[in-house]
Amino acid sequence: MTNKDYIDIFSRFNGEEGDLIPLLQEIQEKFGYISEEAIKNISRFLKISENQIFGVASFYSQFKFIESGKYTIKVCMGTACHVRGSLNILDEFRRNLHVEADETTDDKLFTLETVNCVGACALGPIVIFSGDYHGQMKIKIVRELLEKYKSKNEKESETAV
Amino acid sequence: MSKENKTVTINIDDQILEVEKGLTILRAAEQNNIYIPALCSHKNLTPFGGCRMCIVEVEGMSGFPTACTTPVEEGMVIKTHTAQVQASRVEILQLILSEHTSSCLICEEKDECKEYMGTIRKAGVTTGCRYCPKDGQCELQDLVEKLGVKEINYPIYYRNLRVEKDDPFYDRDYNLCILCGRCIRVCQEIRIANTLAFKQRGPKTVVGPAYDRTHIDAGCEFCGACVSVCPTGALSEKVSKWEGKAEREELTTCPLCGVGCQIRLLIKKNEIIGSLPAEDPLVNNGQLCVKGRFCVAELVNNYQRLRKPYKTQNGTKVEIFLEEAVELSAEKLSACSPEQFGMLVSPNCSNEDLYIAQKFARVAVGSHNIDTTARTFYGTGFNAFLNLMRMAVPLSDVLKASIILCIGLDTRFGRSVVGVELRKAVERGAKIITINPRHHNLTMIAEKEFQPVPKMEVNLLNSLVMLTEKKKTPTSQFRSKRTTGSLSGELSTVAKMLKEASAPVFLVGSEFLQYDESPQILEAVEKLARNVSAGILPLPVQNNLFGSVLMGVYPEFLPGGFSSTGKERIDNLRKRWSADVPNFSSQWNAETLSSGSRMKVLYFIGEVPPNSRPPSDFLIFQNIYPPDISYEPDLVIPSAAFTEMDGTFINGEGRIQRVRKAVDPPGEALPDWEILCRIAQKMGIKGFDFSNAREIYEEISSLIKGFGDFDNTKRKANPMICEGELNIPETRPSRTKKADKKFPFLLSVSVGEHTYRGFPLSTWVEGLKKLFTEGIIDINPEDARKTGISRSDEVIVTSAYFEKIWSANILSEQTQGTLHVTLPQGESIGNNPHPVKIRKKDV
Repeated sequence: MTNKDYIDIFSRFNGEEGDLIPLLQEIQEKFGYISEEAIKNISRFLKISENQIFGVASFYSQFKFIESGKYTIKVCMGTACHVRGSLNILDEFRRNLHVEADETTDDKLFTLETVNCVGACALGPIVIFSGDYHGQMKIKIVRELLEKYKSKNEKESETAV
Repeated sequence: MSKENKTVTINIDDQILEVEKGLTILRAAEQNNIYIPALCSHKNLTPFGGCRMCIVEVEGMSGFPTACTTPVEEGMVIKTHTAQVQASRVEILQLILSEHTSSCLICEEKDECKEYMGTIRKAGVTTGCRYCPKDGQCELQDLVEKLGVKEINYPIYYRNLRVEKDDPFYDRDYNLCILCGRCIRVCQEIRIANTLAFKQRGPKTVVGPAYDRTHIDAGCEFCGACVSVCPTGALSEKVSKWEGKAEREELTTCPLCGVGCQIRLLIKKNEIIGSLPAEDPLVNNGQLCVKGRFCVAELVNNYQRLRKPYKTQNGTKVEIFLEEAVELSAEKLSACSPEQFGMLVSPNCSNEDLYIAQKFARVAVGSHNIDTTARTFYGTGFNAFLNLMRMAVPLSDVLKASIILCIGLDTRFGRSVVGVELRKAVERGAKIITINPRHHNLTMIAEKEFQPVPKMEVNLLNSLVMLTEKKKTPTSQFRSKRTTGSLSGELSTVAKMLKEASAPVFLVGSEFLQYDESPQILEAVEKLARNVSAGILPLPVQNNLFGSVLMGVYPEFLPGGFSSTGKERIDNLRKRWSADVPNFSSQWNAETLSSGSRMKVLYFIGEVPPNSRPPSDFLIFQNIYPPDISYEPDLVIPSAAFTEMDGTFINGEGRIQRVRKAVDPPGEALPDWEILCRIAQKMGIKGFDFSNAREIYEEISSLIKGFGDFDNTKRKANPMICEGELNIPETRPSRTKKADKKFPFLLSVSVGEHTYRGFPLSTWVEGLKKLFTEGIIDINPEDARKTGISRSDEVIVTSAYFEKIWSANILSEQTQGTLHVTLPQGESIGNNPHPVKIRKKDV
């Protein structure tokens, strides 16, 4: 994230108070999360204090304040998934990744998140692993999935070298 | 407009009331003494509707609207205490309490506790449990009492948040927070400081600054407005946490800077337990800065306060009675010739003290050798600063101005009430322009910002002077090479803005005051103000600087600000005082204190001499705190602090303000004027038989016009009147060079300005040590990278004349190639700014 990135984004706005949420969305889109630096720059641009911006941003669950891992795992905790045991699925991910919900693994590979219904209740319990929907999840599939993406990552880094 | 249009008729609990249109039901009820419980509502803040305690029944409206957010309407029928409303309130309060520690609210032994105060701790006195600092002053407690909540029917949920104690002055225990949002609204609406906000949402909601920052890092001004409005014990003042409720209050004037805020001292028994802002529309309008809000109690209650006089005999301290101290001083002073006497008084003293001090010097000793350390503080720019004070406009003009130019001003910890007014002005549509070589807290509201590198300020200001000149001057000598390009464009815009503005106001802070070029800078400010017909409000650091000139505590000035060289003036004084006053012949002043010839008697009133003892046979030290050991005064006399005496101050605008005695001075301490009068009487001098400050005030009034009534609180502000000038060498021998290869950085220095009676406030007030950082050098990140210095490293700073070690602070707002450090008063590095080189100290 360079200064130029911010100037690019800011140039599309008027600098009014109402620009705050669209701005935060654009920055999140571009950088994946809202950094302290981003908040500082927005504060200077909109003349709203950093504290207020953080207050607004932290209200909405769509904004993230930590850099996400390469793969995001979203475990649905909606009512239908819940009754079908999504909590057990979440626990299995926590056990295997050694992180809590909304945290990223140390190797910056996986971010574990919970969502409150993705509208595919018939498939519950559902997990969205890096954009792919996995319906009727079972505990034993969790490790398989993780292994799959780990080896995928290794392959990718090998080809990159 | 007819009356009907302005009022509406409503019915609250079967009372027919005529109330103002636009009021909320809650305010209308309050005005008519009808009680509706409320927690989140506050008289100065916008309605919030968060606590739901103020729900009422309104005929024709569905559900239970909240009284604090519903405006009154013609013919409204409101019921405030129906059974259903009361039952709902009890439920809601129980819900609030299910997340709030409630051992003080709901307890089996509550009734007995009131009577017997059963204490389970090991303690000398029975006090009850005392789990919460707000015990007895808590609005939640009152409400539980009023609604008769006896138990909580919901599962208790303790949030288990960490108690935040890292910041100075107040602790935050958000486990006690009920999320009423008062602190946030006061921070955003009244102070416009925006340090606090709600974070997260739902059950995770907490109050605080961004991320998990401390309040210091978040830019908090520590004004304490949030602490004052908190209805629970969530926010509590560190110092007076367990003091309980004040017994009485006294209105007085804060002496910690030249703004002159009116404060309410909270008193319990014979002790100040705190201070709160007074609702004085003329000056601070219910606002204070960290110094007035949190420092007063600690400052005057410090255990190191002087209580008894002592003399130094053969190197040891011998405590004596005040009578003996008076005799000893009288004896020494009677034997002292006028030329061998010098007196330093503090510009923090009251007008009465200052007047008596100069009368004492001039009549009792017959000498004009009286001065203040303001002379060393303002240095060569003192005359120019006084010139600005002659043009001072009242603070209320700032409220009306459309353009405000802030020169060297920072309002975070000092003068923060002015900062609030500036932010309000911006909301109103005024434009702020800042000129400051350093980072400051006005960045967020500034329309245009200039950050000149040291030594370029004069150039920048002179360019503005040139551009605003009414007649075009043919010479373009100010068109320096450095003011070309975009800067010169910016300058013309600002010049145009200033010229077109109807009533611009300039605020002068203290950033430039210690610079070598301060006289030229201040003169340029004066010229610029004349060019654009602007009002100037210099904000002096010393609270009674104005008074010190008007009372004549300088060799060059007589009472009334008249020049001491005026023979008629001296004759007049002789007549008025019926005493002999010598003709002016004084070479002595505060600057020559250490370098001048040896004096027989030096008398310091509320002043602390710099570094070491100046050459003298007998040194009298009269202050509220003991001197540093290195001074070894021969006689120490305890004086009264401003909370312990009557009198008046004159603030920077020129408003006479009253100081009122709130408590008795400790031990044998007395107001300075009283000690001086006793010594003069002992010496057999006439004209010192005053029994109270009012009598002195009346004598001052008879000499100086416009003093008037001692108790009048609605005095107008008048700019300073003073004849003549101080005797200051025009320019100091300059050896300043620009930064070069050998010394590539320009170091600018400011002097710690937060003092009281010669001592830095941080000596006596623990919390200020964290806020006023002295001996810390600000470095630009790029420069720091090049020199391999990181935060809090020890840095060796070398110039051609000195070598010092300071701690590093990396600051992106510091201009590249420049450094800045704040030093305690009395310490100096010679030229300012100063070319230096820096390197990291090897470990």
